[in-house]
Amino acid sequence: MNTLTRPSLSKRWRASWRRRALWSALAALVVALLFTLVWLAGRYEASQVQSRLERDAADAVGDIRSRLTRNLQSLQALQFGDPKPVAWTGEATALLRERRELLRIEWRDSQFGILAQAGTPYRPPVFERLGRDSVQSEVTQVCNAARRISGPAYSTSYFVPMTDGLGIEVMEMCLPLASAGVVMGYLVATYSLQDLLDDLARQLTRSQEVAFTEGDGTRLAMRGTARRTSRVFSAQHLLDLPGTTLVLRMDSWRGAPDLFPNVLTALVTAMSIALVSILLLLGKDMRRRLKAESDLADALAFRKAMEDSLVTGLRARDLQGRITYVNPAFCQMVGFTAEELLGQGMQAPPYWPPELADEYKKRQEIRLAGNVPPREGYESVFMHKDGTRFPVLIIEAPLINAHGLQTGWMSAFLDIREQRRVEELSRASQDRLQATARLAMVGEMASLLSHELNQPLAAMSSYATGTLNLLHQGAQTPADIELAMRRIAEQAERAGKVIKSVHDFVRRRDQAREVVAPQALFDAILPLVNLQARKLGVQVQLRLEPGLPQVLCDRTMVEQVLLNLARNGMQAMDRPEIRRRVLQLGVQRAAADARWIEFSVTDVGPGIAPEVAQQLFTPFFTTKAEGMGLGLSLCRTVIEQHGGTLAFKPNQPQGTVFTFTLPTGLPQPPLL
Amino acid sequence: MQPVIDAAVYIVDDDASVREALAWLLRSRRLGSQVFESAEAFLEMIEGAHLPPRPACLLLDVRMPGMSGLALFDRLAERGLQQALPVIFLTGHADVPTAVGAVKRGAFDFCEKPFSDNALVDRVEQALAQSATIVQAQQVRARLRQRLGELTDRERAVMQLVIEGLPNKRIADQLDISVRTVEVHRARVFDKMEVKSAVELANLLREF
Repeated sequence: MNTLTRPSLSKRWRASWRRRALWSALAALVVALLFTLVWLAGRYEASQVQSRLERDAADAVGDIRSRLTRNLQSLQALQFGDPKPVAWTGEATALLRERRELLRIEWRDSQFGILAQAGTPYRPPVFERLGRDSVQSEVTQVCNAARRISGPAYSTSYFVPMTDGLGIEVMEMCLPLASAGVVMGYLVATYSLQDLLDDLARQLTRSQEVAFTEGDGTRLAMRGTARRTSRVFSAQHLLDLPGTTLVLRMDSWRGAPDLFPNVLTALVTAMSIALVSILLLLGKDMRRRLKAESDLADALAFRKAMEDSLVTGLRARDLQGRITYVNPAFCQMVGFTAEELLGQGMQAPPYWPPELADEYKKRQEIRLAGNVPPREGYESVFMHKDGTRFPVLIIEAPLINAHGLQTGWMSAFLDIREQRRVEELSRASQDRLQATARLAMVGEMASLLSHELNQPLAAMSSYATGTLNLLHQGAQTPADIELAMRRIAEQAERAGKVIKSVHDFVRRRDQAREVVAPQALFDAILPLVNLQARKLGVQVQLRLEPGLPQVLCDRTMVEQVLLNLARNGMQAMDRPEIRRRVLQLGVQRAAADARWIEFSVTDVGPGIAPEVAQQLFTPFFTTKAEGMGLGLSLCRTVIEQHGGTLAFKPNQPQGTVFTFTLPTGLPQPPLL
Repeated sequence: MQPVIDAAVYIVDDDASVREALAWLLRSRRLGSQVFESAEAFLEMIEGAHLPPRPACLLLDVRMPGMSGLALFDRLAERGLQQALPVIFLTGHADVPTAVGAVKRGAFDFCEKPFSDNALVDRVEQALAQSATIVQAQQVRARLRQRLGELTDRERAVMQLVIEGLPNKRIADQLDISVRTVEVHRARVFDKMEVKSAVELANLLREF
């Protein structure tokens, strides 16, 4: 047992381990996929944000450039029509009020001397603390550059500390004022970088920050929310101006990064959840399938064990007559292996006796044409591999598949050799028993007869011997001898009568047949029956089917039979536990043949035990203390002499019914 | 027919013709017989009248209505009569084993019907002879008992010592009586017991 289960156990363990490994690999894959998807979605979103930021930065740069250009034009407009310095200052101041990013405008001559100047009204004077002269070099430098390019030039930005302790980053712009190719002077405008950005700030979102930076990332001026989080996007754009290059950097940040940042990730997540649920469902389904599979395997094993243990042979055929299945019992029955039988094509199976093959083939064709065989089966003869023929009982049923279609025939085979043998044995023993019973009858008859004959013979012999004795003695007593002789004659006559009575008994019976109404038979016995019935407390019921024909019988004998059966019935009910004692005497037409009348005697006694039933009609068998055991036996003989049958069966719910049949008085062939 | 020997043969059979035929056969051999139609009738007879002490024999049919032959035999055996009244069973063919059993239990014989009649009569005579011997012995014993009963106690004591073979003098010494008295008693004993010598007396009493 152990040696059998151990390999299968380790095998099963290995299988389950493999299954688990596969499942975890699948789960890991799914998780990795999910992470990748989420990550990619994040990346995509980030890139979206980044590109928008780039676009914004470029737009901002464009805005600043156009603003600077507009300022330039406004500044050029100040010089229109050779204004006087006083008028110019007024105009310049107006311009400064309009443009917040301009801190200061100067009109300088070609030697950089200040002709007129104006400062922004929005701030305190920028160069109050430092002095304008401290930045003279920057101004000179940018104006030289401007003269060289004959256009506006911008200086690099520089920091100007303010009186309030803070400072601002400023940038100089110089516009050469040329007249007929000769530089007559310069317009120098000072820009505040911070205020340049302010102008942009209106377009910025709350989560953006814009700044001018140096090449190393140092912020020169910035505008925007100074909030910092981990997720920061940044875009830099160059603002190249004549003479200098500024870097505009735009930062954008997201709030705390969400697990489901947007619809896409939400979608991906939803799909992932769906995927996982499907996986779980799949897993569950798989488990159910595995269970069903194992159940099926068990059922198959069970079926196989069942088929193998059967002594009944089983064979399945498809609709073409090919054998598709045989069980071991069938193989053993016919002596062929399953392979030999299944390998057969359309030709006759090897277990058909050759001499009967044609007949079987016809039968098979009938079967395959769709005729359902009798449910109780039919008998046939098969041939074992060694050539012996044996009888089988075949029971066939159509083989129906799961779709309700017939796919062939399933047949069960019973080897009925043993059954046949038992039947024959039982028949033989039955015959022997009957012969014995007849012998016993004859013996009893002979015994009775010999006694009846012995008596007169003994008397005769005595008289004869006595007479001889007297004669030997020489006595002269004729009177005595005469007496003896007369007695001898008497006894001889008596013996003759015995013989004659036997003869008569045999002969008289046939002549005694007469036509009697069934009612008359009952009328004759009822007084006697009622006598005993009153004694035993039995109620006698008579049931006569109306309009019955008369029966042809030996009246006295049949009355004896009826009386005998009625008495038996009443004695059977003579038990204290039986309260309601009813004896039913009935007569009706026999169900099978209207030419016979059936008499029945029904009691509600304890019934007849099977072992008693077997020898019920055996002469000298009795269950009564004082019985001879000849009653039923004689009854049967009488009924059989009339050509009828005497039978009995259990009565429902209890008791026994004895029935016998007698011929009606209608003309019919003489009974022998 | 000739006068009959002084012996009784009883025939019990339910069949009248058989009884009569048997009686007739027995009479042809000078044997008297008495017939009974049933076992009960026979029992009534032997119970009613004391059987005369004479040789007798019973021919008994085994199968009869009422009390069977076998039952009657058992009743007789109970009374210790089967020796003095030998029983010969008359049987049909079927009853032979029963009859054999009865013989083993002490019946004289059985005879199968139809019997060879003179052989039966021979057996009857043998049975009567046996019965006669027994009856005679019974009679001797009865007479002896009667004679012994007539002895006085003193005479019985003297007789006892005489049988032992003691001389008169020793008897006188033992019984403490005179020799003369012993002689008188001795003569009286011999007289009463109808013997002539002590030896004859001893033989007589040995049979008892």
